[in-house]
Amino acid sequence: CSDFLETESLSNSTVDNYYKTPEQAYNALVGCYDGVQALWSSGVSFPVASEVLSDNAFGGTGYSDGYGYQLLDEFDKSRSPSDLNMFNNNWIAYYKAIYRCNILLQKLDDVEWGTDADLRNIYEAEARFLRAYMYFDMVRLWGNVPLLTEPSTENLPQATPQEVYAQIAEDLKFATENLEAKSYASQSSSERGRVTKWAAESLIGRVYLYYTGYYGASDLAGVISKTQALAYLEDVIANSGHGLVETYANLWPAASGTNYAKEDNKETVFAIKYTYTSDYTTGNDDGNKWLVMLGMRNYSSYPYGKGWGGVTVNPNLWDAYSSTDTRKAASIISIEDENIAFDQQADQREYTGYYNKKYTPMINLNGESVSAELASELGLNSDFQISQFQDYVVIRYADVLLMAAELGSSSAQNYFDQVRERAYGDDFVQIPITQQSIMNERRLEFAFEGIRYWDLLRQGVDVAANTIAETTQVLNGGVETTKTITASKIQETKGLQQIPNTQVSLSNGVLKQNNGW
Amino acid sequence: QKQVITGKITDATGAPLPGVSILIKGTTIGTSADVEGNYSLEASPNDVLVLSFIGYTTKEVSVGNQSQINVSMEEDISTLQEVVVVGYGEQKKALNTGANLQIKGEDLLKQSSTNALQALQGQAPGVQITSTSGQPGETMKVIVRGVGSTIGNTPLYVVDGVITGDISYLNNGDIASLTVLKDAASAAIYGSQAANGVVLITTKKGKAGHAQVTFDSYYGVQNVARKVDLLNAKEYAIIANEAAVNSGNSPIYSQHVIDSLGSAGTNWMDEMFAKDAVTQNYSIGVTGGSENSVYSTSLSYLSQAGIVGGKGLSNYERYNFRFNSEHKLFKNILTIGQNLNVAFTNNNGIGVGNQYNNSLRGAFQTTPLLKNDPLDTAGLYNQANPYYQMVYNNQNRNKNQRVIGNIYFEVEPISKLKFRSSLGIDYYNYDGQSYKPEFKLSIYSFNTNPQVTQSMSKSQTILWDNLLSYSFTLGTQHKFDAMLGTSMYQYGGSSLSATKTGSVFSDVEHAWISNGTSNTATATGVAYDPDHRASFFGRLNYNFEETYLLNATFRADGSSKFAKGNQWGYFPSVSAGWVITNEEFMDNTSGWLNSLKFRASWGQVGSQNVSAFQYQSPITFTNTYYIFGGTEGTLTPGAYPSRLSNTNLKWETSEQTDIGFDAAFLNGKFNVNVDWYVKTNKDWLIKAPVLATAGAEAPYINGGGVKNKGVELALAYNNSIGDLNYRVSVNGAYNKNTVSHIPNADGIIHGQANQIYDNSTEFNRAANGYPIGYFWGYKTNGIFQNEQEVQSYTSAEGTQLQPSAKPGDVRYVDVTGDGSITEADKTMIGNPNPDYTFGFSIGADYKGFDFSIQASGVAGNQIVQSYRNPASKYGNYTSEILDRWHGEGTSNRMPRVTETNENWTNFSDLYIHNGDYLRINNVTLGYDLKRVIKQNFLTQCRLYVSALNLFTFTKYNGMDPEVGYGTDGFTSGVDVGYYPRPRTYMVGLNVKF
Repeated sequence: CSDFLETESLSNSTVDNYYKTPEQAYNALVGCYDGVQALWSSGVSFPVASEVLSDNAFGGTGYSDGYGYQLLDEFDKSRSPSDLNMFNNNWIAYYKAIYRCNILLQKLDDVEWGTDADLRNIYEAEARFLRAYMYFDMVRLWGNVPLLTEPSTENLPQATPQEVYAQIAEDLKFATENLEAKSYASQSSSERGRVTKWAAESLIGRVYLYYTGYYGASDLAGVISKTQALAYLEDVIANSGHGLVETYANLWPAASGTNYAKEDNKETVFAIKYTYTSDYTTGNDDGNKWLVMLGMRNYSSYPYGKGWGGVTVNPNLWDAYSSTDTRKAASIISIEDENIAFDQQADQREYTGYYNKKYTPMINLNGESVSAELASELGLNSDFQISQFQDYVVIRYADVLLMAAELGSSSAQNYFDQVRERAYGDDFVQIPITQQSIMNERRLEFAFEGIRYWDLLRQGVDVAANTIAETTQVLNGGVETTKTITASKIQETKGLQQIPNTQVSLSNGVLKQNNGW
Repeated sequence: QKQVITGKITDATGAPLPGVSILIKGTTIGTSADVEGNYSLEASPNDVLVLSFIGYTTKEVSVGNQSQINVSMEEDISTLQEVVVVGYGEQKKALNTGANLQIKGEDLLKQSSTNALQALQGQAPGVQITSTSGQPGETMKVIVRGVGSTIGNTPLYVVDGVITGDISYLNNGDIASLTVLKDAASAAIYGSQAANGVVLITTKKGKAGHAQVTFDSYYGVQNVARKVDLLNAKEYAIIANEAAVNSGNSPIYSQHVIDSLGSAGTNWMDEMFAKDAVTQNYSIGVTGGSENSVYSTSLSYLSQAGIVGGKGLSNYERYNFRFNSEHKLFKNILTIGQNLNVAFTNNNGIGVGNQYNNSLRGAFQTTPLLKNDPLDTAGLYNQANPYYQMVYNNQNRNKNQRVIGNIYFEVEPISKLKFRSSLGIDYYNYDGQSYKPEFKLSIYSFNTNPQVTQSMSKSQTILWDNLLSYSFTLGTQHKFDAMLGTSMYQYGGSSLSATKTGSVFSDVEHAWISNGTSNTATATGVAYDPDHRASFFGRLNYNFEETYLLNATFRADGSSKFAKGNQWGYFPSVSAGWVITNEEFMDNTSGWLNSLKFRASWGQVGSQNVSAFQYQSPITFTNTYYIFGGTEGTLTPGAYPSRLSNTNLKWETSEQTDIGFDAAFLNGKFNVNVDWYVKTNKDWLIKAPVLATAGAEAPYINGGGVKNKGVELALAYNNSIGDLNYRVSVNGAYNKNTVSHIPNADGIIHGQANQIYDNSTEFNRAANGYPIGYFWGYKTNGIFQNEQEVQSYTSAEGTQLQPSAKPGDVRYVDVTGDGSITEADKTMIGNPNPDYTFGFSIGADYKGFDFSIQASGVAGNQIVQSYRNPASKYGNYTSEILDRWHGEGTSNRMPRVTETNENWTNFSDLYIHNGDYLRINNVTLGYDLKRVIKQNFLTQCRLYVSALNLFTFTKYNGMDPEVGYGTDGFTSGVDVGYYPRPRTYMVGLNVKF
């Protein structure tokens, strides 16, 4: 009768019998990418939070919604005292995806590689890149996070930022050393979206600049020096085959019309990819779930689709662009300048007259959601909330150029000018390269790309606080209301976010909450 | 002067009852009935006949000028000869030492309910039965002696020995008896499956004698008993204006518009409810047999239309077929038999779940200014027509087929030594279809592509039981009954579901995948995890002169759900009784105290109510894709480990001590049963949240528990005054529930967010030291009447507690006293578990008339009521809002109205209501036409009228205070637009010949 009690699941493999063949290892690697794709399918997305926190935008959202986005925007938990877990789903999703990477890394040596031995290190490099990518998000958002490089159910205390950055640097270094130096043009188009050597090298530049800036360090956690960081970027510029898309507006679907340069264009060094196969019935979830936050509140106007009116654009940003800068109209929807008959002020909080154009839901000429139409052609049970498929471009070649310039490349002025020449076209006038002019250019070039806030913080918490702090007027439900963001709150929190209260509570206090939260 | 009286004595079923003694009152003159039940004797018109027979209630009949007096004798329910059903057998009630409760099938039938459990409501102290929804066919929540678990509290159901998880398929008329085993000692013979109590059901068996045909039917119409009063258009506009002004905006509607509204506008409540929804039942049965072979068979049809949306949207119908037979072979050495029940159930329904899956909820929220117009594609303020939302989103048809029964044989090679083997099956098959039409009702409520879904599933359980039993006596006083048994259980099944968009047809009847027009279908299919169990068990009953009683059981259960080493669980029990009235020293009380039995029991039962393979970490492929390359829609499949493993998982244990007594007074006319119990569930099977850093879903672990302590009391009295026989019974139970040992660092199992309104946070939880599922939120203390009150609301140190509050806002209590209102001030503000459950029934019959009232109720529990979404300023209100604060002194409970609804975004006791109620479940008046028809072949022809849910005494202002719905397994009492139980008026007919 003991045989009678031995049963086997008919529908699942288990951790113990999986990870045996190269195909299974590949599926597990795709599982890691899937984990990254799902990081922001609920909670607050990193790209959206980065804009709300910065001086580019306000919290926005619906007039009757909770005040969570105002809590973020103003670094003030008293704005929404019950929002103790805004990032909880994200915190969980990050560690879930990291777990997928860690399990795969642990099991790589159990795989019978046979004739595919070269794949082993490639898979390791990709998994370690993804892990580094995620830890970099987390350590920037929360400052102090538990660091796991192998699976563990222990109640782990937070690692020091230096430990986390050292791991990030090691992982990225491994990726640069083990991924093939295959130029953009020679990459298989069906493989686009996989981590490349160029992505790893470029991300090193970003991590280097943030770590050395925010923490005032002279190198990247003892692993990568300034010279090395610059060398990685120069390698990308010299050998990756990546380049700038000729017209800035063509980078963005809503700004480019039919001239859209498409996803995976030569400027995209690394992107998190989404598609429109999300389905309510099956629960499939491959879409860009945060894009809908950014659309105009409940209002569509071709080609812009409706959304939830989060992240209303700060008029200061619109004013920061000169009229000859093509990035102005490519980045921002101006209700007035585009003669949009927007009539949902009563339902919009923190209305400013400006919305994000780079990442916005879109409709076709019939007024139907583009993504929902495509989904329905596949026979899916979907709608505009889950079917958005615009990729999140993490690193553009323009960023590589500006980072190399900032790190003191001998071609710094040339790199700087390349980016500006595209932006201004015939109106281009060379300006001298300084730290200040680079930072200003980065603001204009990368608006709404999840970069600005971290560029401010790496100049020091005080610089960030004083730049972001503001008292201005916005329309809440159509009523003029004073909006205040105080510098002291940003200084108190050091720009870090609240660690989800649920996690602090589950850890029985082993996790320490950040100051000010 | 004397004349000869003749007549026939029958039992309640109409069968002749031989041997009944018939005496003329006050004399010794009399006779007794012959084998056919006939008698004759001489009596004068002034005489009274006294009819008595062992096991039956004594009856008195005045002779008058009748010459033929036929009498139907009623079994004496208090009789000590009564036999009760126990686990794997029967036992003389007088010798039973457990706390259990048996209800006869006919008492369930009398309730005219679609579901036996609903009929049981209010009749079983300590068994709390609650509707989870008033939708036809919805299951009942049955909780025996308090909520004991976070993952389901359904008792084990055993129908004719076959273990099953649900008995809603049963026709009430097929039930011979229903027994609830409440204490662990009674239930322990079912070991690992009995943690939530056991309900034993036997279906009707054949009887030797002439065939008896029964026909039972009823037909009734149902209507909503009470609607919620929502604001009409004019009231709505006035309140909306006030909210706008309070929020700094200008009024929305001009006085001219308001004046023109009058009481016009749409009453969405009226639109949602159907009038006179029909419920009906027709059941025909035949029972009979010979000395060696008996049978009982029946065929029945039942249907109940829903009061929300009517038959097309909410409906339940059931066809039952039953055939039971038993045959004695080889001079009674071998008995073989079978029980077979086939049920076909067809149902469809509307959403009755949380705020997102509740069709009725829309009616509370939608502005009365919107017209009920299906052609309106915009709605009003982006609110969609709730009636058509309900219609379009609930096009579904479900069909279940179920076969449950067993085949058995029993040999008795030598007297009192019996071996019984039975093979039981429970086969379940489901197929369903749903259709979602293309529609647009607002920018949020639309479906651009018609969609057809077809799903199927099936499962089968095979159960093989073997029992060996032997009864023997040592000396003349020591009596033993011993039983040993084994049981093997095997369960498996699978499901398949497919969806296609586009449809050739536009109705649910044609919602088949072949009628979908897209060239691909999305499909999912899964094999259920196998579930195997092997069990060994034994029982020993001992009694000394039926005065000192002892009972011990033991069961060992092995389950495939656990890893080797943890597969076996052991469940002992012991119970004892003392029939003190058998003692000589009690002889002097025998005049008024007929019997008194003290009982005490202790036992352990278990639960393995958890999905299998928790000891492994599964690799998941479902919905794991990434897109590489530029071709949108092309997916590369991936895989990942989705859950952690727990190889240490083992049985959950429930330990219970019960002390009670049963007493009969006044010749059995007055009966009292009292029980006291402590039930401790420990090592819960729970999915306690793990640290996110673990990286995968939590496995089930053992940890946490709950203690239920309570008292149960049942009183029953019956008597006669002349031809009037009457019965009164009252029962009540008290239960206190306290959670302990939750293994998380914070000692809390958290309820879910976003369940009761948009952005709602956790509002219920299970936490150490509190009742399970308690409501957790802010305590309020009235309304700020003026600015001065806001300013003077300070902590002891003088800091202002709610500096941004305005007059008219809610004053929150600083529970921690730390000088600010924070999350830490949230506390227990309500308890969904009643302290008291009770019921009563009154019955009487007089010369062919019968009358009964049955009632049940609860007290001491709270309900969360959330009809309105604070995230929307346009939602309608209940008329309670008319009592809002709108100036100093106008209200100290209902805060001012604002467009941002800030007084409602934090979950506080504003949402909490008392849930006490007493419901008159059933009032019936019947008359047996046999008195008029006087045909010999006719045993009964009773015509009756009933009112179900006639009246509910409650202060709860929702439509129905009996809210079994909860958003987590351990919670109930959550009213987010609860589908109320209908009020039914019906006529019925019971015929027997």
